[in-house]
Amino acid sequence: MAPKRHAASTTSAAPSTPTPAPTTPKLSSGPATLKTNASAAEIAGHVWQQYASTTPQRTLLLDAFMAFLVLVGGLQFVYCVLAGNYPFNAFLSGFSAAVGQFVLTASLRMQTSDSEQGTGTSHERAFADYIFGSLILHFFCVNFIN
Amino acid sequence: MRWCLALLICCLAVVNALSSSGSRLLAILEDTEQKDLYSTLWADLEARGYDVSIESSKSEQLALFKHGERAYDHLLILPPKSKGLGPSLTPKHILDFMNKDGNILLALSGKTATSSAISSLLLELDIHLSTDRSQVVVDHFNYDTLSAAEKHDVLVLQRPGPLRSDVKAFFDGEGVLALPRVAPQTLGDSALLSPILRAPATAYSYNPKEGMPAAEDILATGSQLNIVSAMQARNSARFTVLGSVESLEDKWFSASVKTPSGKKTSTVNREFAKQLTAWAFKETGVLKVDKVEHRLATEGAELNPSIYRIKNETIYSIEVSEYVYDKWVPFDVPGDDALQLEFTMLSPFHRLTLQPTHRTDTSTVFSTQFVTPDQHGIFSFRVNYKRPFLTSIEEKHEVTNRHFAHDEYPRSWAITGGWVWIAGLWSVIGGFLAFVIVWLYSAPVTDTLKKTQ
Amino acid sequence: MAPSSLDVVLKGSSGRNTRGLLRVIILCTIAAAAVSSRLFSVIRFESIIHEFDPWFNFRATKYLVENGFYSFWDWFDDRTWHPLGRVTGGTLYPGLMVTSGVIYHILRLLTIPVDIRNICVLLAPGFSGLTALAMYLLTSEMSDSPSAGLLAAAFMGITPGYISRSVAGSYDNEAIAIFLLVFTFYLWIKAVKNGSIMWGALTALFYGYMVSAWGGYVFITNLIPLHVFVLLCMGRYSTRVYISYTTWYALGTLGSMQIPFVGFLPIRNSDHMSALGVFGLIQLVAFAEFIRGYLPGKQFQKLLTSMVLLTFGLGFGGLVLLSVSGVIAPWSGRFYSLWDTGYAKIHIPIIASVSEHQPTAWPAFFFDLNFLIWLFPAGVFMCFQKLKDEHVFVVIYSVLASYFAGVMVRLMLTLTPIVCVAAALALSCILDNFLVASTPSTETKAKATTEDKSLRSARNPVVGIYSWFSKSVVVASVTLYLLMFVAHCTWVTSNAYSSPSVVLASKLPDGSQFIIDDYREAYYWLRQNTPDNAKIMSWWDYGYQIGGMADRPTLVDNNTWNNTHIATVGKAMSSREEVSYPILRQHDVDYVLVVFGGLLGYSGDDLNKFLWMVRIAEGIWPDEVKERDFFTARGEYRVDEEATPAMKNSLMYKMSYHNYQSLFPAGQAMDRVRGTRLPKESPQLNTLEEAFTSENWIVRLYKVKDLDNLGRDHSNAVAFDKGLKRKRATKRKGPRVLRTE
Repeated sequence: MAPKRHAASTTSAAPSTPTPAPTTPKLSSGPATLKTNASAAEIAGHVWQQYASTTPQRTLLLDAFMAFLVLVGGLQFVYCVLAGNYPFNAFLSGFSAAVGQFVLTASLRMQTSDSEQGTGTSHERAFADYIFGSLILHFFCVNFIN
Repeated sequence: MRWCLALLICCLAVVNALSSSGSRLLAILEDTEQKDLYSTLWADLEARGYDVSIESSKSEQLALFKHGERAYDHLLILPPKSKGLGPSLTPKHILDFMNKDGNILLALSGKTATSSAISSLLLELDIHLSTDRSQVVVDHFNYDTLSAAEKHDVLVLQRPGPLRSDVKAFFDGEGVLALPRVAPQTLGDSALLSPILRAPATAYSYNPKEGMPAAEDILATGSQLNIVSAMQARNSARFTVLGSVESLEDKWFSASVKTPSGKKTSTVNREFAKQLTAWAFKETGVLKVDKVEHRLATEGAELNPSIYRIKNETIYSIEVSEYVYDKWVPFDVPGDDALQLEFTMLSPFHRLTLQPTHRTDTSTVFSTQFVTPDQHGIFSFRVNYKRPFLTSIEEKHEVTNRHFAHDEYPRSWAITGGWVWIAGLWSVIGGFLAFVIVWLYSAPVTDTLKKTQ
Repeated sequence: MAPSSLDVVLKGSSGRNTRGLLRVIILCTIAAAAVSSRLFSVIRFESIIHEFDPWFNFRATKYLVENGFYSFWDWFDDRTWHPLGRVTGGTLYPGLMVTSGVIYHILRLLTIPVDIRNICVLLAPGFSGLTALAMYLLTSEMSDSPSAGLLAAAFMGITPGYISRSVAGSYDNEAIAIFLLVFTFYLWIKAVKNGSIMWGALTALFYGYMVSAWGGYVFITNLIPLHVFVLLCMGRYSTRVYISYTTWYALGTLGSMQIPFVGFLPIRNSDHMSALGVFGLIQLVAFAEFIRGYLPGKQFQKLLTSMVLLTFGLGFGGLVLLSVSGVIAPWSGRFYSLWDTGYAKIHIPIIASVSEHQPTAWPAFFFDLNFLIWLFPAGVFMCFQKLKDEHVFVVIYSVLASYFAGVMVRLMLTLTPIVCVAAALALSCILDNFLVASTPSTETKAKATTEDKSLRSARNPVVGIYSWFSKSVVVASVTLYLLMFVAHCTWVTSNAYSSPSVVLASKLPDGSQFIIDDYREAYYWLRQNTPDNAKIMSWWDYGYQIGGMADRPTLVDNNTWNNTHIATVGKAMSSREEVSYPILRQHDVDYVLVVFGGLLGYSGDDLNKFLWMVRIAEGIWPDEVKERDFFTARGEYRVDEEATPAMKNSLMYKMSYHNYQSLFPAGQAMDRVRGTRLPKESPQLNTLEEAFTSENWIVRLYKVKDLDNLGRDHSNAVAFDKGLKRKRATKRKGPRVLRTE
């Protein structure tokens, strides 16, 4: 059963969700349905199922990169908590690189994940913008880490 | 012509001392007929190279200054009988003379009352005379039995030793001095004053005409009374007060004296007069800084830069000479004294003893090495050496202590703690590059999703 | 019907070209008007840097141009704040100097050697032309009407609120900062409308440039997150908002941390925490939207509420914990005083004493903005009619800027752009409706149920105006207002904001102009008659000017970064000579400069500022300097015979009135500022001697005497020189003090 979209959406005219809301309902009647009083684990499982089956490959690539960035950022943060934050500028630079890249990649995902061209820009233009932003980010980070 | 040359050489041979600050000496006597009483003194002074001019204080051509400059380098004032020293020797003129680096030796006498002009002049210098200005020092244990058997007003004293353990002695030696009719002085609190010869503990002063003063009017007693006092101004001009002018007379230069408890001996007044006039007119006790150098402790560093950085190794050296009668010799810091360097910004951050590192023929080089403090600002190298009887050394050189430049901090790869984050950053950049390559080779998102997976 | 020749020009594609060309011409004219209206002081006096702060910027720019960028970046200034020095390279906003330096080098590269002084003087007018252009771009994003942009550009070009800080010669950070502010906002609006990373990155880059230029960048740092937050609260989350905000935050914050003066503030300071908070919030909202696509409604609601509560609690608690433990610095004093207006007077008197930090009087709004101020609320209301994302921005900016402009006079400057935008919107709406030659058609049912996000109350259909009479009346009155606006702006610029304040001009009784050039006279005396390293002590107001014009090291200057040092100077000025002299000696002061307006009636002199010196000194030494001691028993602040002993013995009083009585017949010395007669005798100065007094006695310079050669007290030395006999020390009671070696 396809998730319903709110009829009177107060969001902007363009679709706001990054997911490719399928316009056709799923044919199989597998464990895609969700009872109204399902537990949290079942909700999470259902979400994962939907996600794995409906995202295109390019977007999965993006998601993999984002997961890698979360890992790198998390490791740096844990190291900072454990071993202190000297030199502070290096910590900020490394951590901000991970966070910034994550955010840029998420923006790229929003712009390219559905073929309806979510925000009105073509995928090539979005990718070019992404590279532009990333280069600026890397330049600042390398300068900051000294 | 050979006789001229011979004469010149003779003159040079006779000269075995010369003041370091000029040779024009003016002696003021009120009554110039009296100069014969001091003929040995004049002869000694001239033998040491001074041009002695003897004028009367009442003379009209007498002028201490000519066109705004000093006309003489040194002044020797013998006490007048009348009220003052004349119109061209007012206290203001005399202090101006000192402010322009002139040296003065003032002799007082207990026989006559000192004029109030002289008394107020001395008060400016914080040297106090008795209120009635006509007292004389008396000691019942150290007097000359031969000439002052009843009055006990001719003191017979040893020459003074060093003032303190860290001060060089300029007036010491064997023998006794005869000091007839001393006018006593006491010194105030000023740090510029030093006593050259103090009265012994058994001395006191009284007014011969009026007897002992009341208890609360007593000027001072014992060694608080000074017979010879010295005042060295901040520009090192010297003002010496000799309480007994008669001790400079010819007859006392080689008199025979006998204390109540001692034997008959001959005085060494002439020697003492030489030491006193040598000090008063800057033949001894004169220090000179030849050179000050400071630089970084690295090889081939520039001399005397105007900017240092915090935490730099720095070497400072100062070259000091001392003038002894007629030549400059290396200066040795006396006794347990120390020549110190202060590296100061509002208050000293370092105070270090300068060690003598090497000597030249005429000077000693003192130096030290230290690390500039971790505080940026405008600092100065200060050497402030003011000791009794030595001219003052006051050197101040301002330098800037700057902070680390942006490229003088340790680079991040040199700090082991930062490797994790450097790795993090470069892994992000590497991952980005890999991602871009893979993206460009991957298929774009198409309309029908059933075709994917 | 064959198209008339005019139709060819006015209609179709060539019509568009014509209109485009017309727009360009109009914008160029506006830029030219903006530049030329700022040149009054250059024409009347000369091309000179004005006031106080610009002199420091000028000196820094000269240093940059002479020594290169890296020397500038590492510059340790040993000619200010003697003897502490100042790490100037790391404690200023370099944007302005670097901009001037770049322009200087570009012009030299084109073999047009322009003196750096002229570049600095004319930079502000040049950038004001660019600001007008940026306003055009910004307002065109807000409204479809072509006239709105042009009107906004015209308003911004000549409005006095902006001119006050950008006349020729006012070489201060606001000269380029306002241009960058408007341009950054334009890029931000573009980014929100387009949702592209490129616009977000450009916003971040210009934001970084703005951070390097002005301390008021904190305004942008808080306004953009507030905009996003309001959009989120209104339920208007969209990917465009996410993309533009996160790109701006990530790149902008990193960029701002490259400036040494800002350093780690974006992470540490409360001023920047709202941006971080909104960043976190928008991540959560984006994630929630992402999940929502996979879940049916009810489950989503459950998940959402629990997640919201959890994260909000954690976030808020974390923030409080970090603030309390001191990891995050609280609001800095300058910005805290905007919320608690009484704070600065008690705790940071230096901030309270600056005249620009006083609250705004209501006439100032009319003075600086004229008729824009009543068009402004109308324009804001009009934004509610359309209420797209960019209009929300206008509303928020207006509210925030209005509050700040009411609190501090200096912040009128940040209000001016949005007033111009809103007023232009309102006025263009009026003109678009009233200036049409054709009669309107009556299709009222056109837009009934389209997606209207505006206020319900504003949803009336707009039809048009029929009557010629009303059209002509309205158009005529609007034209009249516009003409009066121009006249007002020009008059205000000419009379109020074009004074160099280094050179004062007044009128003699017969109407001819009387130039008072005392400041420069004194500074040039210093420059030509004192050794290169002579240290000058004066009150901090004049520090930058002394450094710039006299080129001598100063003790304190307008940067006011070290309150204790300023308090030391205040203590030296307000204590008796015996206390001040050791302070002067310790700080190696050679000359003391004091400003005295008593002869001319110049009321900005140091005696009028004296109580601030006392207050600041009292803040550090409450036992030694007491403000109460300077007021008479009746509570008055007097300088004549009834002045308190503390006042009469203070160094400032003595320096101001030394020898003043010699100008007047005996007993009639008059201080024209305080309006009182002064005591017959001139105060006696022992430790200073007068070095220079300017022509109208406005600037007086005193040389600090060296220690007395004979070790005497200075008062005794002066008495001896005057011929007074020194009295013997009085007999001391009690045991004698013996002299030891």
